[in-house]
Amino acid sequence: MTKELRDKARTLGLDRLTDEHLTQFERAATGMERHLQRLPRGMPAAQEPAHVYRAKGELQ
Amino acid sequence: MNGDLAYLGLAEAAELIRGKKLSPVEYATALLARIERHDGEYNAFIALTPERALSAARAAESEIAAGRWRGPFHGVPYALKDIIDVEGLQTTAHSKILIGNIARRHAVVTERLEAAGGVLLGKLSTHEFAIGGPSFDLPWPPARNPWNRDHFCGGSSSGSGAGLAAGFFPAALGTDTGGSIRNPASMCGITGMKPTYGRVSRRGVAPLAFSLDHIGPMTRNVRDNALMLQVVAGHDPSDPGSADESVPDYGALLGRGVRGLRIGVIRHFYTSDVAGDPEQVTALDAAVNLLAEAGAETSEIVLPALEDFSACGQIILAAEAYAVHEQWLKERPQDYGARARERLLAGAKLRAVDYVQAVRWRRELRERVSAAFADIDLAITASSMDPACRIDDDAALAANYWRQARMPFNVTGQPGLVIPAGFSRSGLPLSLQLVGHPFGEALLYRVAHFYEDATGWTKRHPPQLSD
Repeated sequence: MTKELRDKARTLGLDRLTDEHLTQFERAATGMERHLQRLPRGMPAAQEPAHVYRAKGELQ
Repeated sequence: MNGDLAYLGLAEAAELIRGKKLSPVEYATALLARIERHDGEYNAFIALTPERALSAARAAESEIAAGRWRGPFHGVPYALKDIIDVEGLQTTAHSKILIGNIARRHAVVTERLEAAGGVLLGKLSTHEFAIGGPSFDLPWPPARNPWNRDHFCGGSSSGSGAGLAAGFFPAALGTDTGGSIRNPASMCGITGMKPTYGRVSRRGVAPLAFSLDHIGPMTRNVRDNALMLQVVAGHDPSDPGSADESVPDYGALLGRGVRGLRIGVIRHFYTSDVAGDPEQVTALDAAVNLLAEAGAETSEIVLPALEDFSACGQIILAAEAYAVHEQWLKERPQDYGARARERLLAGAKLRAVDYVQAVRWRRELRERVSAAFADIDLAITASSMDPACRIDDDAALAANYWRQARMPFNVTGQPGLVIPAGFSRSGLPLSLQLVGHPFGEALLYRVAHFYEDATGWTKRHPPQLSD
């Protein structure tokens, strides 16, 4: 297990992960990287997210 | 038994109970005995509650005898995925983390089923926290597929699917964040509805990913599914995601056939985005032909690539699930099973901007799907790309997460109904998925009911469980 990976986990507060857990963490992060590569980065600045907050009913 | 009682449907049972031809006590007793006899092989249940069940059955019998029949659920046995709260019972989420977690009140869906007079038989196996499985390193073993116990029964609502196929109960609730109702429905040859987001209250159900979580009915046939949705659907002001939409009569369109309906076929999901198993593709093509021959207008429609929905959904799921599990992962990582821990850790390194971009992308994907649905009444596509793999085949189990077309409709929030569509040469169920406009569940039931009637797939049960 690389020191770099353990340090990264510690930075995230995951300092109780064993070597086996760190291997899983690394595999999970690699899998997520594939999804992140598909994420569009050039969306128009004004493109809103889904589930935009509305204070519906609270101002009545 | 009495295979007859084991595979009795909810609607049939309701008629018999109402007519005093079937005693709720005898019905529950027979199913409990069957569970005792067979569940050691299939592990559908985490906790069986026979005393509670018989007490509820006796109460139902007395009320019905006194002329106070509450409706089709009265005196009918059901079971709940063990992430749904029942007052006084443990909700474990199939995890060591939650052992001793006694629910102080019912989930809203439990309240509704109890008020309808349902007879709870117990709590069902799930993939741990509805995310990682099947797992052999948890306090309870994973559920097995009644069609072949060496095969995966799907998940995460694994006990719900397995128990229905095994004839342990006629109705169960599952939950679906990336396909967890529809996957076991596909693998076990049963009927599973992921309703529109917000249609069924989530209060009292352990969250996995707030904006993707759905609760829905799992049954052996379409009519029963509509009856169960009728009981649990409806606005709940205590659930911030609950939709304030009226609840239609979900059985109102059954029997009307499919003539004149415009059905979009999302074929690229299972032919080019992912190459489906040939037997599964053949079953889907045959279903489309059958609907066309019956008078539906079928035409192919094109949505964004399956992998886009998968990426968008998985990023949102990982971020929201990590928000739920962060503290436990920091303090008790060893108390998770390996599969759930790995899937949950996927959210640890995500940046805030990744989550926000995924949610912005989600809106765009939803709008593109909405445009593609503008000229159709509903769509048909695959649920799973393959029949159930072996439960010890790690590579095939991992592929199960992407060889599917369920996540698109968690991302969009549209209803998705999975029904059996035949069997593979090896005797394992094949399936199809119908997808509707938001709050279009009744139309999905109409088409599914027609197909079910025309094919008879739901009348088959695992041969080794025919006693």
